[in-house]
Amino acid sequence: MKIKREDILHLSELSNFTLSESEIESLSGNLSDIIKYISQLDELDVEGIPPTYQVFEMENVWRDDEILEQDASRDELLALTKESRDNQIKVPKVL
Amino acid sequence: MKYIPTVGIECHVQLSTKTKLFSEVDNDARGKEPNSCVSPVDYALPGMLPRLNGEAIKYAIRAGRAMNCTINNHSRFDRKHYFYPDSPKGYQITQFYEPIIGAGYVELPSGTKIRIEHAHLEGDAAKLTHFDDYSLVDLNRVDTPLIEIVSMPDIHTARDAYDYCKELWRLMTFANVSYGDLYNGNMRFDVNISLAPEGSKKLGTRAEIKNLNSFRAVERVIEYEVSRQTKILEKGEKVVQETRGWNDATGKTTGQRSKEEAKDYRYMPEPDIPPINLTDEFIEAELAKLPLMPTDYRQLFSKSIKEDIIEVLLDYPQLMQKLAEMAGVLPDISRLGPRPSGPSTGGRPRPKGRSPRADGANSRAAALRNAPSRELSATPAVNLIANLFTSVLLAEEKSAEYLNDLPTTKDLTELAEMNEKKELSSTATKEVFLGLFDPQMKNRGTRTIAKELGLIQENDLGALEKIVDAVLAKPETKKAQKDFKAGQEKVIGFLVGQVMKESKGKANPSSVQEILRKKLS
Repeated sequence: MKIKREDILHLSELSNFTLSESEIESLSGNLSDIIKYISQLDELDVEGIPPTYQVFEMENVWRDDEILEQDASRDELLALTKESRDNQIKVPKVL
Repeated sequence: MKYIPTVGIECHVQLSTKTKLFSEVDNDARGKEPNSCVSPVDYALPGMLPRLNGEAIKYAIRAGRAMNCTINNHSRFDRKHYFYPDSPKGYQITQFYEPIIGAGYVELPSGTKIRIEHAHLEGDAAKLTHFDDYSLVDLNRVDTPLIEIVSMPDIHTARDAYDYCKELWRLMTFANVSYGDLYNGNMRFDVNISLAPEGSKKLGTRAEIKNLNSFRAVERVIEYEVSRQTKILEKGEKVVQETRGWNDATGKTTGQRSKEEAKDYRYMPEPDIPPINLTDEFIEAELAKLPLMPTDYRQLFSKSIKEDIIEVLLDYPQLMQKLAEMAGVLPDISRLGPRPSGPSTGGRPRPKGRSPRADGANSRAAALRNAPSRELSATPAVNLIANLFTSVLLAEEKSAEYLNDLPTTKDLTELAEMNEKKELSSTATKEVFLGLFDPQMKNRGTRTIAKELGLIQENDLGALEKIVDAVLAKPETKKAQKDFKAGQEKVIGFLVGQVMKESKGKANPSSVQEILRKKLS
């Protein structure tokens, strides 16, 4: 499967990435290669085999409903953001 | 041409678990500082691993049963990808392919059944506040457990939509899975609506109106959209499929910029949360904990309380539970704890108890639900208190705060008994009832309050007779006595009044009148 220029533009829009022309080109090539590699799986006959969602065969992994102290404070979390205001994360207007 | 509207509703219900769906932080952020209930998991720091809250699974089982839905033994989570500042992860963890709650239905008070397609568990998104040229992000709400309830397009009137949303609210609050605090966004509705010519088998093009937070808004949106879409269709034009925003102040919907219309969520199985495989025993054990539901109460009290009063009371789960307790249906329902009702209350409800006694109440509720006849015979005490709840308590300015601190069953039962024995007149009954909520008086017991307020009626006929004799001996009543004997009926009122005065208002007026008539005949 060949990844087209439109596919890259669509994906970059969904992820809100701005890509340069050269990036668009190299990503098209890279993604095509990745998909080609993964597509080898298509050679297997999986008729009648249920999809595998995970390989560790774990199930019902859940915890009790008890509040635990967090190691990270609000200040530490906010310090990681580009800009904050009134203890909230400030972002460009989105809607 | 007549157009018939077809409506489907998606409802997001925030579950009232102690912690969030995937992290061990406080799930109740009401009245708390922004970004104060956040863990590195919610923040989506690299390497963080979500851990599923087992309680949310149990809540979902109860919520599903409340809507008569099948509970799926097998379910799992998926990632739904999108880029927006309300999701630090860049995806929402939801159940797209295999939800925990299957098909069912909600029956409206009118008897109409609205089918439920399915309902699934997912994490909520952050709260955004928009300003002129920037937005602020509060992550407190990130991954609050939600169940999203998807209805079939079975709704055809604004009224049914209102009733459906309200019934969902009742089901979720009675099932004790949500605080049901609409003001704080505990339940939010997305409405899909299309119009088609009457008799047409094909549905029209739909508009979606998102994020409504009141039953009334849902009703108004549908009324507005029916009129807007009718006008478009009558002009021979086409309705555009789009997401529209509702403005509560103008009462109108407007098209939102459709950039996000080209949705491509790239769902994939959530690798961090292993699938859920529930045994029938596990599901059954949880179902047995479901408290009585609105339908159960309607049936229970069909002989004791008038239908319209039942419907009012169903908006206040605490009151319904108190009446059930009075009727001896639930010996101990304290496990339900108080909960906020309506927009003006906040605060965190008491943690749910897990005493063996409470479990007894649960299984009793379950047994009751499965009993062939669930009607209680007429109970005057329950009827009296039900009337006081609706006509006196709910009319009080402080009713919202009173709801979380109701009088004991013993006090209410005694009040009903004193009224029945005519120790309290109907006016006095109301006064003592309010005394049971008065912070100064409430813990003293009904009889003491009635005594302190001087409201107990004198029913002792001997004592009454003495007072009547004293009044009749007074010179100022002589003329009235003569007039009455001469056939002037109205004068009896004056004489009763004199006796009431003499007794300082404690005499029972009808007994007084009876004695007076006997003496003057």
